[in-house]
Amino acid sequence: MQILQYVINGIALGSVYALISTGFSLIFNVLKFSNFSHGALMTFSAFTGYFVAAANGWGLVPTILAAAATGSLVALAGEFVAFRRILIRNTSPIYFFVSSITLGTLFEGIVVLQVGANFYNYPRFFGKPLKLAGLVISQSDIIIFCISAFVLVVLALVIQKTRLGRALRSVSFDRDTASLMGIDVTRSIQFAFIISGALAGLAGVFLGINYTLYPTLGSLVVKGFIASVIGGLGSLPGAVIGAMLLGIVETTLISTIGSGYAPVFTFLIMLVFLLVRPRGIAGSNIQEKA
Amino acid sequence: MKKVLSLILMLAMLTSVTAALAEGETINVGCLQDISGPTSSLGNMATAGVQWAVDEINAAGGVNGKMINLIVYDTKADVTEAINAYTRAVTSDNVSAIVGPPIANIALAIAPESENNDVQILGFAIDSKCQIKPDGTPYKNMFDFQPSAAQQATIMAKYALKNGFSKFGVIYNEGNAYSVSLQAPFIDTVTANGGEVAKVVTYTSNDKDFKTLLQPIVSADVDAVFVPNYTQELILIAQQIRALGYEGSLICGLDACPPFNTLFGEDCDGIYFINNIDGTEANVQAMLAAVKEKTGIDATNKFFLGYDVANILKGIFETVGTNPVGVRNAAEQVTNYAGLTGNITIDPATHMPKGLEMVMFTYQGTTPVMLERYSAE
Repeated sequence: MQILQYVINGIALGSVYALISTGFSLIFNVLKFSNFSHGALMTFSAFTGYFVAAANGWGLVPTILAAAATGSLVALAGEFVAFRRILIRNTSPIYFFVSSITLGTLFEGIVVLQVGANFYNYPRFFGKPLKLAGLVISQSDIIIFCISAFVLVVLALVIQKTRLGRALRSVSFDRDTASLMGIDVTRSIQFAFIISGALAGLAGVFLGINYTLYPTLGSLVVKGFIASVIGGLGSLPGAVIGAMLLGIVETTLISTIGSGYAPVFTFLIMLVFLLVRPRGIAGSNIQEKA
Repeated sequence: MKKVLSLILMLAMLTSVTAALAEGETINVGCLQDISGPTSSLGNMATAGVQWAVDEINAAGGVNGKMINLIVYDTKADVTEAINAYTRAVTSDNVSAIVGPPIANIALAIAPESENNDVQILGFAIDSKCQIKPDGTPYKNMFDFQPSAAQQATIMAKYALKNGFSKFGVIYNEGNAYSVSLQAPFIDTVTANGGEVAKVVTYTSNDKDFKTLLQPIVSADVDAVFVPNYTQELILIAQQIRALGYEGSLICGLDACPPFNTLFGEDCDGIYFINNIDGTEANVQAMLAAVKEKTGIDATNKFFLGYDVANILKGIFETVGTNPVGVRNAAEQVTNYAGLTGNITIDPATHMPKGLEMVMFTYQGTTPVMLERYSAE
């Protein structure tokens, strides 16, 4: 029963990691670089959601929507400021990487300037936990899991079934050919940033609810990165699978070898994946990793 | 060329004379606190208390006619930042004494460094390793003005045992000196007095998700969980243990003092904590009301600690001036200083107070309720 409880805790943890890794993978898929401003964007959006919710006494759903909208808008602006010219000039992917770190530092700096380096706590949105056959499942875990699953399913449908999604897939496969086929590449990339930003906002709120809000909250993007590597950089289903696995592995390691050693083994697992199966569980073999 | 050299020399002399004159009129006091970072709620409150006392002292004519110039340094709860700030205080700003830091990890880093200077550091770090060297003698410049970790943990354990708790779980941060220093004496006191510690789990400062760590404690069906951690971690642990359905009590250290109740975001029933002040005392109430009226903030225990230490420092300066050795000797001789945090007597052998009282509290909803007063022997 204890093991099942750890699996449940792991899935709950993994569902938030899945939001991070999906947003992360989406940009990697399209522009072939690891967008390390994603973490700071999560923080920025989560703080916006917090202040809007606190000022208006909003519940969970409007807070999420506000954070997601903020994430989308800021990601769109970030794309224009930090990545557009690099894309147009078709320069090395390393510049995307450097630009993303700079952008992340800017976002985090704005947050620190606005709120200080202190921590904040979201209002309590959830009631008592559910107890089933000796298992305890917190309401927050259930709701966060359901919302994450719903959002990821909708995202999968959008990418698979809509014109915008098909265009995005074409751009991620080959930008030049997609452009020759009449697809507006810039619009597709903007679409990817909007979705990625919304996912960052959503993940930021969930992380804030679970772990309080603080300016370096975005450092948890590393977990999304590990999940992406395990799942296969650039693969959206892989990102979700990797996130779930990471959540379960983390909780199992914490319960068996303790909290101190768990991160060591988590990173070892990532290194093993990079060594044995560089394309991850479901990813294609991408050579231009930045 | 000679003219230029003469001019530079004159300017240098003028600057020195002006600085000396300025130094002669004021006494620089450093306030080394966590103004930002995860323990900023403690550092800001301590700073506000020191500033309040300094304003009162200066308004009353200063110390022997000299105004106190308070220089605030932000450690950002970071050891490197703290050491840099300390070095700046003693080398550039020539402070006569330093109030702070509020937390043990920072004080532990500064303690060996402080041996190279003579500036006294009057702080609140309760881990005795911050004041006492491995050879058992005190660091010459490190002082603490609240009961030690061993004293506080003993009070909490005795209170818990006396009030019907007998089976405990413990969760503490193995990378945090404050947390580590509290758990051992708590466990020792519980086991020595017939209680049981069913489960002890540790975590690191990087941990944010405590549910898996807390699960064995919840499964052990303990009466209470001892949670000697900083406020942010305390909030996470309290929220997550409640999310796991645990309805027992939490025994917490000073970090569950207000503003924990406002930061927690929900009712704090079942949370017990230790405090330096008793809000039912007339002088404490008067100060709380004055601070609220003037600044709009609700002063907490760290405010009172800062206030008391600043006033003790004033008394020392009045008696022995600002000579560092004199200040140290006088700090070691502080006896029965009637402060808002109690009657403070410093033990010269430990540079920590002896016999200072502390108060156990709980919350009803979000309102702190005083339970019992203990002498920290």
